[in-house]
Amino acid sequence: MSYFGQVWAIAWKDVLIEMRTRQRIVVMGAFAVLTGFLFNFSVDPGVVRMQDIAAGLIWMTLVFSGLLGVGRTFQIESEDGAFQGLLLTPVPRDAIYLGKVIANFVLVWILVLLILGVFGLFFHLDYGNQPLLLLLTLAIGTLGFVSLATIFGAVAAETRLAETLLPVLLFPLLTPMIIFGVSATNRLLAGRPITEVAGHIRILGAFALIALAAGSLLFRTVVED
Amino acid sequence: MSDIAKRTGIAGPALALLGIALVIFQLSLVFFWVPTEAVQGVIQRIFYLHVPSAWVAFFAFGIVALSSVVYLWLGDERADRAAQAAAEGGMVFTTVVLISGPLWGKIAWGTYWTWEARLTLTLLLWFIYLGYFMVRGAASSPEKGKKFSAVVGILGAVNIPLIHMSVYWFRSLHPSPVILKPDGPTAPPEMVQTLLLGFLSYTVLFLGLMILRIGVLRVEQRIRLREANA
Repeated sequence: MSYFGQVWAIAWKDVLIEMRTRQRIVVMGAFAVLTGFLFNFSVDPGVVRMQDIAAGLIWMTLVFSGLLGVGRTFQIESEDGAFQGLLLTPVPRDAIYLGKVIANFVLVWILVLLILGVFGLFFHLDYGNQPLLLLLTLAIGTLGFVSLATIFGAVAAETRLAETLLPVLLFPLLTPMIIFGVSATNRLLAGRPITEVAGHIRILGAFALIALAAGSLLFRTVVED
Repeated sequence: MSDIAKRTGIAGPALALLGIALVIFQLSLVFFWVPTEAVQGVIQRIFYLHVPSAWVAFFAFGIVALSSVVYLWLGDERADRAAQAAAEGGMVFTTVVLISGPLWGKIAWGTYWTWEARLTLTLLLWFIYLGYFMVRGAASSPEKGKKFSAVVGILGAVNIPLIHMSVYWFRSLHPSPVILKPDGPTAPPEMVQTLLLGFLSYTVLFLGLMILRIGVLRVEQRIRLREANA
């Protein structure tokens, strides 16, 4: 089996489990929608325009509800020593990591689409004249987020604090991506021209790739006994 | 002290004592010798404690990152002890920076906290150190704790330049209230000398404490081994 075949097999296995159980996506989706619900009552639309703060709301909801699901990536295999079994297969460790990242990406990407749809309805958002570019920005941000969250999820799963530890590890390192991701989203929602956001999206992409590369290199040391 | 010296070598205690002496000497210069800065007045003297501490905070993280790479690569226990000792010292000096900075900022900028780039970066550094220790303490086994904290150290070191770059860019959206450059090229030589001595003293103090701590960690390890064998 080729390297990409292995990555694909692991990603597909996780996606299939999620499709059959729908455990994580239901929790994440409910969390995201209810967060939007609470935002509605915690922000006074007479004082702030929802359109102006929507970028921040979308990204924060992505991060918090994303954590709920991605933090449990390695609980899928916690029973019956399934993860040991996975490690015993003749698959490179970084292929396991990349497979997990892809599966988590699919999961969080569905969540992003849900957030965009629901927040659009709740807050009457106008997604600007570059909706595809907005989707691209969020997709790159999602990739960066799951790259970091998957490696830290593997770390946190092996500690007594489990997922509770995840935010402490993740948020400081997520800051650069949040800064550039939110600012690009902000400008897209404000209807600014492409030239003003292209640079930010490129930097966001570079950060996401660095996170993915560092994660693939370090994952081996996290899972080996 | 002599007992520790017997077990851990003379370098740690000697450097730590030298560092303490140097810091006391530098503080006496700060209080009694260096001229008061014309614009900011006496508050500027915090600078001689603040800037060397910030240097040590980041220097320590450099040691953490390098030792972590060596530990993951070679599995050498000494590298892990060096990383842990450097992280402990680094977190102390980061805390000093985070306390002395706002005290100065309250008078110079009129506010304890602004989202100025260096402040933001230092606060995040503190939290990366926090994550480093939480992972180490909460891991399911000590061996895993060492590996995980090394991973956090390396990921943190990869990220610090990115955070640095991002928060500097972010600041351009939010200019800080006053832009002060305490050490212009026109600073009198006393100020420059006091600052340079500060860099030296705090670095020596940090290295002394770090080596001392490495010795203690080694003794702890030996006790654990003895208890396991008994």
